[in-house]
Amino acid sequence: MMTRTLLIFSQRLSVAPRPRWVGCLGLAGSVVVGLAAAGCGSAVVSGPSPDFEVARALRDKLGASTSETETADTAPQGIGWATLKGRFVFSGSPGAAIALVVDKDTQVCSKDGMKLYDRSLLVDESTKGLANVVLFLRNSSRVKSEVPTESLLLDQENCEFLAPVFAGRVGQPIDVKNSDPIGHNTNIAGTSFNQLIPAGESTIFTPARETGLPVTVTCNIHPWMKAYAVFREDGYVAVSAADGSFTIPDLPAGEPLEFQVWHERSTGRSGAVSLEQPDLKWNAKGRFKIELKADEVRDLGTLEVPADAIKG
Amino acid sequence: MFEREYVTVTNFAAQAGMMTLPGDLSEPLAMGCRRVRDRRGHVCWLGMAAALLIPLVGAGCGQTAAASYRLNLVESAKQRLRPEQEQQVATILAALFGTPDEPVALAECGLDESKLKLAAGPVRSDIVGRKNGLYREHCAHCHGVTGDGMGPTAAFLNPYPRDYRPGVFKFKSTERADKPTHADLVMVLRNGLAGSSMPSFALLSDAKIDALAEYVKYLSIRGEVELALMRAFFELDDEDQGRLPDDREFLIDEILLPVVESWQAAEEALIDVPEMPTDIDLADSIAKGRELYHGNKANCVKCHGVTALGDGQVNDYDDWNKVVVQAHTTVQGGLERAGETSTWEMDADEVAEHRAELAWLDRYESVLGGNALPPRTIRPRNLRQGIYRGGMRPLDLYYRIHAGINGAPMPAAKGTVPPEDIWHIVNYIRSLPYDFNGTLGADKPMVARDRL
Repeated sequence: MMTRTLLIFSQRLSVAPRPRWVGCLGLAGSVVVGLAAAGCGSAVVSGPSPDFEVARALRDKLGASTSETETADTAPQGIGWATLKGRFVFSGSPGAAIALVVDKDTQVCSKDGMKLYDRSLLVDESTKGLANVVLFLRNSSRVKSEVPTESLLLDQENCEFLAPVFAGRVGQPIDVKNSDPIGHNTNIAGTSFNQLIPAGESTIFTPARETGLPVTVTCNIHPWMKAYAVFREDGYVAVSAADGSFTIPDLPAGEPLEFQVWHERSTGRSGAVSLEQPDLKWNAKGRFKIELKADEVRDLGTLEVPADAIKG
Repeated sequence: MFEREYVTVTNFAAQAGMMTLPGDLSEPLAMGCRRVRDRRGHVCWLGMAAALLIPLVGAGCGQTAAASYRLNLVESAKQRLRPEQEQQVATILAALFGTPDEPVALAECGLDESKLKLAAGPVRSDIVGRKNGLYREHCAHCHGVTGDGMGPTAAFLNPYPRDYRPGVFKFKSTERADKPTHADLVMVLRNGLAGSSMPSFALLSDAKIDALAEYVKYLSIRGEVELALMRAFFELDDEDQGRLPDDREFLIDEILLPVVESWQAAEEALIDVPEMPTDIDLADSIAKGRELYHGNKANCVKCHGVTALGDGQVNDYDDWNKVVVQAHTTVQGGLERAGETSTWEMDADEVAEHRAELAWLDRYESVLGGNALPPRTIRPRNLRQGIYRGGMRPLDLYYRIHAGINGAPMPAAKGTVPPEDIWHIVNYIRSLPYDFNGTLGADKPMVARDRL
């Protein structure tokens, strides 16, 4: 508590200008050690007001123009296709695996003394490979393959989603399956998909929209069950394997590509992973740009994720 | 218990006040309402109550600033928006939707602006004596002028009033992921939501209820557009320099239309309900429903409990509260990490970054304290009471089981539980409030004293 108050206090000194309520919060907070912070914190914070003149002008502008049917497509388009691969490794220590609290349906979920572990940071012991890093292409100009019609499998067994991170493609059906002898429900955030899956049965879910960054997949009946899902229009998405390796084939060649990188435990914004690489510039949102030549197989080699990039 | 009384008092006072006072005397009330929007919640509530009890006191409030919408600062803090970015969002929203006193609906919204005008603004009468400002008269004290479910009375209610901004509504006749139809909203307004603080507005004319339903849609579309705009900052490229484009292609085609279209699609997304099976005896149907309830297929028992008292799963959150819970986790984790960080060996840039992080966490914490209600867990319905928020018709229960309840943990049974089985569950659920010692039969009359 003490350190926190000091933090808040030190931060007070460094930020200007302060809103009205800050004085109350800062002074009282640091003197009465945290207690006052809770009390004063309940004041409504008001954000900036709209600029009404700009708003009126904008409304007129939007009303006057109709959507241009064609926008000049200035983005350069290349030809041919290429492959991107690499391998994420974690330079820190993953620490001991944390056992999850399993307090329901224990005859199945903890049968024969089985334990379930937190899988948010999986590091391969021998290769240091970091699993479940998501890498996807932003805004592709063209796509090589059609949306496949055969369905992907999102399975759960022993009260655990088999894949901690699941990647799918918009329009491609997903067979959401329950291989347990007990019932589950599968709740995919942001999609309004929340479906009962009876024991041994399955149901089809077809994502209709991109997720942006991965969203959570949970089971409300068994609150410890958690996974992530990412759906992309073009399917240019990879989840790093147990040894940290990933491959995205059939990428558009001869044009600038921008990739987004994400990991559940990343300290970056909303899980964005930003690395410092000598020949690859990453921005704070966890993105890097690259251009591939036709038929090239570009290996980014070993991408080291430092210890402080992952929440402890 | 106390919460219930609060809202009843306010609500009745509001309605009784408006019914007994002549038009011009209703102004102090309107003023009380106006205070609601731009002041701190609890102060306003007091102001409003005072204005209701002694109408003259209202005059003492004097002129207040024009009503304004409150920004979704919980989301903007999550997205780490800078003040100028927040202002850009506020300005775009003002362009697309106007203000609480002067709502605007672009043609693309498909909303009826004349209905919005009837519902919006301070409570007043027009030249022919028709009441205007219905939303602030009947709804704003709980749902807030912005429709953020954060009106002055909200903190006293359980469940909290609906926050329209995520565009998620629970009680409807459409598939889970779809919006409610206009008729669904009208039904909630007319019947209220049993077991919650939402009262029935059946005393209002059809035209007024219609106008209010339209206004709820307007606030919801506005709120969803706000969320989309705030989230769009993350998707910007470096070249955009942290500003959203303000052209039609982005604002209308990319942001507004998807929201509007989802509302328009609702009218086509009605749940197809087959007839209740008639070739089965009711007692048999109930027995089947009972098996399904406790079995592995429908699994109702996991949350609603073996007793059906709603005590199976009591530590889960609905989507609205989950947002706040996750935000608290982010802030706490961030503060802990910051506490372990030493600035001793940092260079100037790193120190600046560290300070920015602290400033963000501090603001996030303040926003959660002042602009969000303390998160509450959600209770699965106690099925022994016979009180169903979304309506007690068998059809309503069918909808709830078929599609689940959007925004709540209740999953959809559609697809994995056949329609006739859903009907059996409906019959079993409807028998539960009358269920005596777990058996049911006409030959066994229920004795109230024995039941106790």
